[in-house]
Amino acid sequence: MESSEAEVYLNSLINKTLRVYATDSRMFVGTFKCTDANRNVVLALTHEYRQPSQKQLEAAAASSSSGTVKAEMTSRYLGLVVVPGEHIVKMEVEEFVSQMKSKSALGQRALYV
Amino acid sequence: MDDGFPPPPSMSHPGIVALDITDKFASAVKTLPPGQIVKDGHFTLFESVSALEIMDPKMDSGCLEEGESLDEEYDTARDLLPEEVLGIIDQLLCLELTSSHQDGLAPRLPFVADHFDQRLCGGASEGSQRASELDDILRDSASQAKQPKFLFVLRAYCAGMLRGCHCVNEVVKDELYYEEEDFVTNTYDRNFLSHIEMAEVIALLQATRADLRELSNDVPKDLALALDLRLELRIAFLRAMELFPLRKSNPDSLKMPWIQMKELMKHFKKQHALAKAVPEAFSTKMQRRLASTMPPRPIVHLSFDDTYTHFEQMFQDGKDAMDVLKYVDPQSLLHFVSTFQARNPQPLVFIRTMTQGLLFKDMIVLGHHSIRRILDDDLAIVVLPSARQLDPANDTIEVPTDPRHQLAVQMETFRQRAAECYLDLYRIFCQNRCRVRRTLCHSIQQWDHLQADVEEIDGLLQVCLDEKSLTTSMGNIGHSLPLSSWAYLYKLRQMEWIVQLGFELDVYQPDELAGMYWYLNYLAKTRAQHGDRIKTFVLREFTAAQESPAWSQTKERNYTRSIAYIRVTMLDAACTWEFADGLCCLYTVLQRLNLVKTPSRPYSNDEQRYEIRMKPFVNIGLPQLPSFDDFTKATAQPETSITELLKYAENAVGGAKKGYEALSRMNDLQTFSVGCHDRWLANIKGCQKSTIFAGLAITTLQKAIETEGENAADLKLKVELPQPGKGYHDWWIVPKLTPKSES
Repeated sequence: MESSEAEVYLNSLINKTLRVYATDSRMFVGTFKCTDANRNVVLALTHEYRQPSQKQLEAAAASSSSGTVKAEMTSRYLGLVVVPGEHIVKMEVEEFVSQMKSKSALGQRALYV
Repeated sequence: MDDGFPPPPSMSHPGIVALDITDKFASAVKTLPPGQIVKDGHFTLFESVSALEIMDPKMDSGCLEEGESLDEEYDTARDLLPEEVLGIIDQLLCLELTSSHQDGLAPRLPFVADHFDQRLCGGASEGSQRASELDDILRDSASQAKQPKFLFVLRAYCAGMLRGCHCVNEVVKDELYYEEEDFVTNTYDRNFLSHIEMAEVIALLQATRADLRELSNDVPKDLALALDLRLELRIAFLRAMELFPLRKSNPDSLKMPWIQMKELMKHFKKQHALAKAVPEAFSTKMQRRLASTMPPRPIVHLSFDDTYTHFEQMFQDGKDAMDVLKYVDPQSLLHFVSTFQARNPQPLVFIRTMTQGLLFKDMIVLGHHSIRRILDDDLAIVVLPSARQLDPANDTIEVPTDPRHQLAVQMETFRQRAAECYLDLYRIFCQNRCRVRRTLCHSIQQWDHLQADVEEIDGLLQVCLDEKSLTTSMGNIGHSLPLSSWAYLYKLRQMEWIVQLGFELDVYQPDELAGMYWYLNYLAKTRAQHGDRIKTFVLREFTAAQESPAWSQTKERNYTRSIAYIRVTMLDAACTWEFADGLCCLYTVLQRLNLVKTPSRPYSNDEQRYEIRMKPFVNIGLPQLPSFDDFTKATAQPETSITELLKYAENAVGGAKKGYEALSRMNDLQTFSVGCHDRWLANIKGCQKSTIFAGLAITTLQKAIETEGENAADLKLKVELPQPGKGYHDWWIVPKLTPKSES
């Protein structure tokens, strides 16, 4: 990716809601505020989500009647956090389905021009 | 989560999709040159400093160690033996104290509370469930059969404790304290049973005690008693919290729960041996479930013996604090607050904020008096006994040309200007010692302005009163200027406190002691002279009033009281002045003999250091800060020989000793220490003891010089300065001179 293009892309993500997965399988959901060359990511208004623990899974399995097990991720509010780049395993951006449709329409129009 | 934090976003909303951007993001940031950042325009790097760093165990409370599981290893439904219940309760006691302890590292009440949270609900619970907790405990008799047998005791205890913690938190939050430094009021969004009436919790505790008695066959007698007394403590604590806002009641009845708690504590100490510890019931893991924008806090472990000592002290302080309500006069009140807070160890922040509440809640002083009453009482003692200015009847005169009307108006202007500064004095003393000193440094600037402002009011008042200036054998000494005199006296006293607290808090280096004692002597001397000026004018009024036909016994009493106050103030100032002077000379000699060493300070010179040290005083108009040259000359006294200096020191310290002796013989009314005379006297005795040991040090030095001459190496003396808090009095650092052993 070109440097200028990369910057435009990163800037387009600013203030979007990101889901950052850390090496210890926690997920942080917050508003993207800042990043640098080492992929350190600053998120504001962040919530931490944790995979259900073994015990909770067992409990959920015991109470579920069907074959699939459903357990809630536990969450708590953390506020402003920085996730160091080295601890990031996966990143996702949240998009509204409705806006994605219009975006792709714009993209198509750009193709015709 | 009822307030403060935003609700967690829904993870699986059909209108939102999450797109994986891991690779694209990674390759995009790789193109950024080192040091460059991409950020939101409104986001500052300054803000980012406060961000919690994920995966850093010191910052991230959710960070798990290798192989560690988030699950609590402790099973809250397990059966507990009664001695284990006792063990957990005692452990909770220890933790409760760390939370209300003033030590900056210690306060972690909310976090500790969360262990009870689990206990209360018989399992981990979050937000909404909690509202019904107490109802559960109260009504859940059916499920109680299934529960571990003695859990109900623990639950009731925890309910009482949580409600108590809530009260403490509210008391502290209402008054002036320093967050984090003194106390942490953050409750991690837990509500600590705040929605439940205190009476209900007390009823629950009572009911639990009754249930416990019914089980007496299943529990050894002494163990049942131990549990019972711990429940009683919770009730007493809640009672104390319920009672203390009723400041109008008899202070002795407000003391009752505190006395009761102190007695209970004595039993606890003996009973603790019966308890069986359950360390696995306590872990820091609970923090990981708490909403927190702050780094994790470790648990502080306090031994049961320490806990006992602290609790005992706290209950004693709580009891003594109630005496503040026994108001006699504002000077005694000020002495009460300042000596109470000077206790070592200083009362906990909870007690200190409670004292503030007792003093000022709802702007009613001590539950009875208006601020005006206190202020007028103080003026009447210090400068204006039976003065026309303070006659409440002036308020009723509505004719604007009548001088009495003008007096009322001017005095009201004065009160509005002075009230805040004046009340702040009491509040300042309720802070931790370092803050007392630092806040006083700001306060004297306020008083300096106040003095200048009220001098104008004085000018207007002397026209209304048709006051003549006074000429004595010293020449014309002007008008009495009572209001600004009053402000000046308080300002001087505060300046002395700042220097004295500097000694107490170990602010000064050994080689600075001579200079700082010289400055203290300068301030005290100024205060004594100012006291003399006030006395002259009070005596003039006294003589004039005696000749007037309106002379009465009340007036005589007021004048005598005022004269007594000035006398004790001048005596106190003279003692400080003499003793400080003596110590200054002693330290100067020690420095000349090189027995107190000056450390090398390559990055500053004496003048720069003087500037910084005296910064709080440099803007004060009166008394003006001496110039550096004057200060150095006055401290080092280069023209005076060592023998003369020591002779002088001996006399000064001897004079101070006699002064303190005289003070210690005076009663509480004469010294304006009604209600706190024992503490006041202990303070004077401490000073007196310090003068004796200072005298000894001077004699030792004189003898050594007589026999060995003025060469430091020949003297074979070792100078030891007491550790902070270990001397005879914290404000008087007296060196100890011992012969050096030949080695």
